Amino acid sequence: MTKKRRFLKATNILFIVLLLVQLLPNRVSGETHTAYLVGFALVLEALAVAASILSKNEKGLNLSLDIIGFLYALIIVWTVVTAKFNILNEALFPPLGKVFWQLIQDAGKILVNIKSSLGIIVQGYLIAVIIAIPLGLFFGWSVRLGNAATYISKFLGSIPPIVYIPYGIALLPTFRSVSVFVIFLATFWPVLASTMSGVLNVDKKTVDSAKVLNVSKFTMLFSVMLPAALPQIFIGCNQGLSVSFILLTSAEMIGAQNGMGYYIKQYSDFGDYTRTIVGLLVIGAVIMMISFLFNKLQTYLLRWKQ
Amino acid sequence: MGKIDIKNLTVEYTEKNHSFKALDNVSFSVEPGEFVSIIGSSGCGKSTLLSILEGINSPADGTVLIDGKPVSGTGFDRGVVLQHYSLFPWMTARKNIAFGIKQAKKELKKDERLKIADEFLEKVGLEEFKSKYPKQLSGGMQQRVAIARALAMDTDILLMDEPFGAVDAKNRTILQELLLSLWEGSKKTVVFVTHDIDEAIFLSDKIIMMSTRPGRVHKEIQVPFKRPRNRTELIGLKEYNDFRNELISLFYSDIVDKIGGDEVVL
Repeated sequence: MTKKRRFLKATNILFIVLLLVQLLPNRVSGETHTAYLVGFALVLEALAVAASILSKNEKGLNLSLDIIGFLYALIIVWTVVTAKFNILNEALFPPLGKVFWQLIQDAGKILVNIKSSLGIIVQGYLIAVIIAIPLGLFFGWSVRLGNAATYISKFLGSIPPIVYIPYGIALLPTFRSVSVFVIFLATFWPVLASTMSGVLNVDKKTVDSAKVLNVSKFTMLFSVMLPAALPQIFIGCNQGLSVSFILLTSAEMIGAQNGMGYYIKQYSDFGDYTRTIVGLLVIGAVIMMISFLFNKLQTYLLRWKQ
Repeated sequence: MGKIDIKNLTVEYTEKNHSFKALDNVSFSVEPGEFVSIIGSSGCGKSTLLSILEGINSPADGTVLIDGKPVSGTGFDRGVVLQHYSLFPWMTARKNIAFGIKQAKKELKKDERLKIADEFLEKVGLEEFKSKYPKQLSGGMQQRVAIARALAMDTDILLMDEPFGAVDAKNRTILQELLLSLWEGSKKTVVFVTHDIDEAIFLSDKIIMMSTRPGRVHKEIQVPFKRPRNRTELIGLKEYNDFRNELISLFYSDIVDKIGGDEVVL
């Protein structure tokens, strides 16, 4: 494809349409902060242009351009139905420029809340993984214990961790510790179960070839069973991670004094739906980024499978 | 006393409430430094026999002595190469070998282990592939790594269970020659399971031919050809062909006997 055709793509045409749409007169009473919207669109367009110039991979380039194009289309539609024609309720559906403006105004506050939420997730999640994996290896390795443990963990794991919250509040001193506890439970059971089944499903030949090397029990568990079961273990870790986010944000809406769930709940209680939408977008972005990093870690640790 | 002494070995398997004999009253000895092949068709219990020597299975009856002591479980005196799955898929070729060395020689430091691993990778001609994972290597290359690991562990005894069974014909001959060149002068005792008569003749000092169901020693045969052996020279000899024909007729007489006796096993 020639350079010229690269820039004649739908994405770039949508960008121009987006700018033109902004020229229409506003029909809402409040401030629209169109400059913030245009600023955001300019950042996207700069990315699109940079990708078009630098990218050597045609498929990857098309994908990024398509994604940016989708965002443009979404922004155009949003702008038309809110700021420009005021079709939707202004309070419930704020103009997008106002959302970006609010995001930047609240950046400091949002960072504090993200830090609080992530702190809880990391703590509960890591404690769960660090305990569940060795236990799962041990139970999975001793078949009799493993069979019994499978049933017990199935029962305990089937209790939705969120129902522990009232009990946790009675048991534990702070709401933060309750949240850590609930995330611990949400991660512990799936990781334990997937580790046990991972160990039980390790090929007997792999076990035998470790046995003939005369490995110690510790080496067998941590240098052989752990990596051999790792693909399965990651299934549990993935499940734990996604459930953790659901639980934490729910818990924060129930009784926390900070965190992203609290941010959304607090402002929607006051009817500030601009900030509610800011909260939704931020949570989406944070979770997407963490999943991305988590997938990178998984691909790296399981690189021997490719 | 031999390096390995097997006397009246019987092994039974239980499967769905009925047990059958995999090995029945098997006896033979392996001298120190001897290369012994165990040959027989599938179901003769040759892999079972090897798993007993490995220490993974235990006998129902009889004795298995190594250096005069009964085998109990796996041991640092034996290195093992299997047909498949010997290598750990999550370790690179180099790491696989170093891991084996680590188990056998705990006193070595990490860089010493890696140095030995590199030496043996070079010996099997895979120094360029040391950072590859087993999945990125061909079947023949994987077996080279497995052999390198078993040799690097520097055990007195090498137990090999059809190590070249899944390798194509051309690579098999290359691997056989590589194994012989590494073995000669190493004074290691080798027990090598195969179903390939030519492989057994080319490699061994002694061949134990097994019969099937239950597995018994059909015949113990000394291989009369001097070392070092050259494959092309060997194949040209009349003695070689006579010996080979004798082995083949022995190999099939067992099966024919059973068909004659109304016990069809094919």
